Amino acid sequence: MKSLVCISHVPDTTTKIKYDAAGKGLDKTGVTFVINPYDEFGLVRAIEIKEKTGSGDVTVLCVGGPEVEPTLRKALAIGADNAARVDMDPTDSRSVAEQIAAYAKGKGFDLIFAGKESIDSNGSAVPGMVAELLDLPFISLATSLEFEGDKAKVSREIDGGYEKLESSLPLVLSCQKGMAEWRIPNMRGIMMARTKPLEVVAGHPMDAYVLTKKLELPSAKAGCIYVEPENAAQLVDMLHDKGLI
Amino acid sequence: MAHQYVDLDTLKFILYQVHDLNSTLEASYFADHDLESVELFLNSIKDLSDQDLYPSFREMDEKPAIFKDQTIEVHPSVGTMMKKGGEMGLISAMFPYESDGFQLPASVHTAAHYIMEAANNNLPGYIGLTQGVAEILVHFGNQALNEIYVPKMAAGEWGGTMCLTEPQAGSSLADITTSARPTPEGHYQIKGQKIFISGGDHAYASNFVHLVLAKIEGGPAGTKGISLFVVPKFRPESDGQLTPNDVITTGDFQKLGQKGFCTTHLIFGENDNCRGWLVGEPHQGLKYMFRMMNGARIAVGRGGAAISMAAYQASLAYARERAQGRPVAQPEQKEPVLIIHHPDVRRMLLLQKAVSEGSLGLVLLAARYADLAATHESEAERARYQLLLELLTPMVKTYPADMGLVSVSNGLQVLGGFGFCSEYILQQYFRDIRIYSIYEGTTGIQSLDLLGRKLTMKGGQGLQLLAQEIGATLKAASQHDELRPYAEILGSKLPLTTQVVTFLMGFAMKGENERFVADATLFMEFLSTQVVAWIWLNMALHAKNDLVSGNGKYTREFYEAKIHTMKFYFKYELPKINGLAEAILNKEVLTLDGGMEIFA
Repeated sequence: MKSLVCISHVPDTTTKIKYDAAGKGLDKTGVTFVINPYDEFGLVRAIEIKEKTGSGDVTVLCVGGPEVEPTLRKALAIGADNAARVDMDPTDSRSVAEQIAAYAKGKGFDLIFAGKESIDSNGSAVPGMVAELLDLPFISLATSLEFEGDKAKVSREIDGGYEKLESSLPLVLSCQKGMAEWRIPNMRGIMMARTKPLEVVAGHPMDAYVLTKKLELPSAKAGCIYVEPENAAQLVDMLHDKGLI
Repeated sequence: MAHQYVDLDTLKFILYQVHDLNSTLEASYFADHDLESVELFLNSIKDLSDQDLYPSFREMDEKPAIFKDQTIEVHPSVGTMMKKGGEMGLISAMFPYESDGFQLPASVHTAAHYIMEAANNNLPGYIGLTQGVAEILVHFGNQALNEIYVPKMAAGEWGGTMCLTEPQAGSSLADITTSARPTPEGHYQIKGQKIFISGGDHAYASNFVHLVLAKIEGGPAGTKGISLFVVPKFRPESDGQLTPNDVITTGDFQKLGQKGFCTTHLIFGENDNCRGWLVGEPHQGLKYMFRMMNGARIAVGRGGAAISMAAYQASLAYARERAQGRPVAQPEQKEPVLIIHHPDVRRMLLLQKAVSEGSLGLVLLAARYADLAATHESEAERARYQLLLELLTPMVKTYPADMGLVSVSNGLQVLGGFGFCSEYILQQYFRDIRIYSIYEGTTGIQSLDLLGRKLTMKGGQGLQLLAQEIGATLKAASQHDELRPYAEILGSKLPLTTQVVTFLMGFAMKGENERFVADATLFMEFLSTQVVAWIWLNMALHAKNDLVSGNGKYTREFYEAKIHTMKFYFKYELPKINGLAEAILNKEVLTLDGGMEIFA
């Protein structure tokens, strides 16, 4: 089985978010970036399929500048065979999807994995667009993937339950929890990742379809105020002062 | 999301920048590692710690290891730690390639264990001891011992322990009585008992490889007659079967803290059927064991630094959310302020930050010296770094443990009454860190080592080398207007150090050895407080350099906080050495004089 796993390079979930001076992008100073956690479910499942069948290969792909390469190296350390970076600033879902589709076209991938969304912009749009651009079937929110003959058997989460689907290959999947257990790279994988191929591909020139005009942080949380049980009157005063009662 | 228990930015700032990991990686021995792979490795360790270590931290305290059915029942996460330690290559990470290792620098390995210890100090010791035992066999064991034992330990299937202490001997190894009788078959019959054996028995390893100090019958008296033996719980036979080796677990010590890290009592050869295999040459046991002990002493300092960091993170998080009291200048203010705005709370938090990050800087410096002592191309440089490492080791063992306890105590105080309540985590850190001043040679023993042995090694060259290192930092820091006054303060303390050392060495020269070391513990605090001041000045220097260049990786607030904490340390901690010097230089000898009567 030949798999392509689309990876987003996103801030770690513990990051204290700040925006740049222009308010149009993230202030990346001191920020740790990771593989988008939902993409990682697809990555591990692709590796498991290869390990189980003993054949095929797993390619990881990320659209971005050189700063995304450590994230691709981590995917290689987890067990991907090779990596590619499309050298383009990922401005919006449509343009990223077009870059991925252009890379994947004609390479004979049986499976294209992505996460159900990226945890930075939460667009949930790229995998569906990739399927459309490549004219392939698409299953979203997939929680498991098995095979029966030349068919893929996929489970996906729906309101109140799970839906069991069957699809021909090639197939595009957006993955979520349940698809696989995350793997932590081990020492051997990390050292091997240094020598695995990481190809840099020029992006297709294009204008962004959607432009970010402004990013804003939510209002700051107020500090926690503890009121002792015997001071109920103080609590009532405070709620009055804030116009809540 | 896991509770914040470690500051990865500070760890990486010190490791990569202050202690210049890149220059360590230049050694050909480390050619297969670079900053990117180190970053990936440390982030993986953080993931492991979030996922598998931190979640069981409190539960391991609430459900301590206990002796049951002739074995020790431990928390299931011990099994996870052993398994992951093997699978991830953590146990064999520093071994050479020919021993199926990965030649990871000690600096990086230290940083990795620091993260795990901050997450859950009950667990990393299980694989740390296993690694230490395997490492001794790699360096000193014969081929057969290596082939039988090392792969199983590296895989995390078999555990390893170090067995030194005996009930009647305590820290005095000269008085151990465990015996080893040679047999015609080549092995030895081992008989004796050992106490305080960490990780000595549990269900998550299918065998245990005990490294036992024992005296071969007829050998020299005292420490010169001590040899080192591999004594497995089950001895592997030639067909691969495991036979019980007459090693009996008789109990687990119930402790104040670190309750999930079992501490066992083992009896060897009660039925005269306990076989041991000699490691290296007879009567060289202490020399071999001290290779492990020196590493273990740095590991103890690392653990102290990690716990004090975890406690700092916990009290800082509390202070950022807890509103109580009004500012002194605005007593009429209607709503209470967050306690982080009260100066005395800020003082306690800054003390925690100063001690925990200063300790980390000290521990990682020792690890850097260990790497350079092992791999530097120049033989003279290797010798120089080895001497610096020797001098630092007792301080690295002691400062993070002793001052870490003070630091955690201050953290507990930040929470007021809640700090004393089991609902909050600070009390656990407070209990857990207490053992670190005792592990691997108490503070008293480390202080004797520092003053009586390390200071006088090679004609006192170690202290001269340290003074040169400090001098280089003072010179560089003096280039910045903001740091120059602090460089001058630290520089002004050096003559006091000379005075104290000269005073003490006078007793040694006269053969008054007991007087020479009577105040060794004060000297330990005197010297290590200055060394940590140097560490802080160096951290502030690198922060300042980044602020000036504008090319730093971290935020302006991060760098400014480093410089601010250095100033705090110089105002509140460094002056304490004047009082210590006064006590040391005082000619009254109150601890030696007076016999038993002074306790009347």
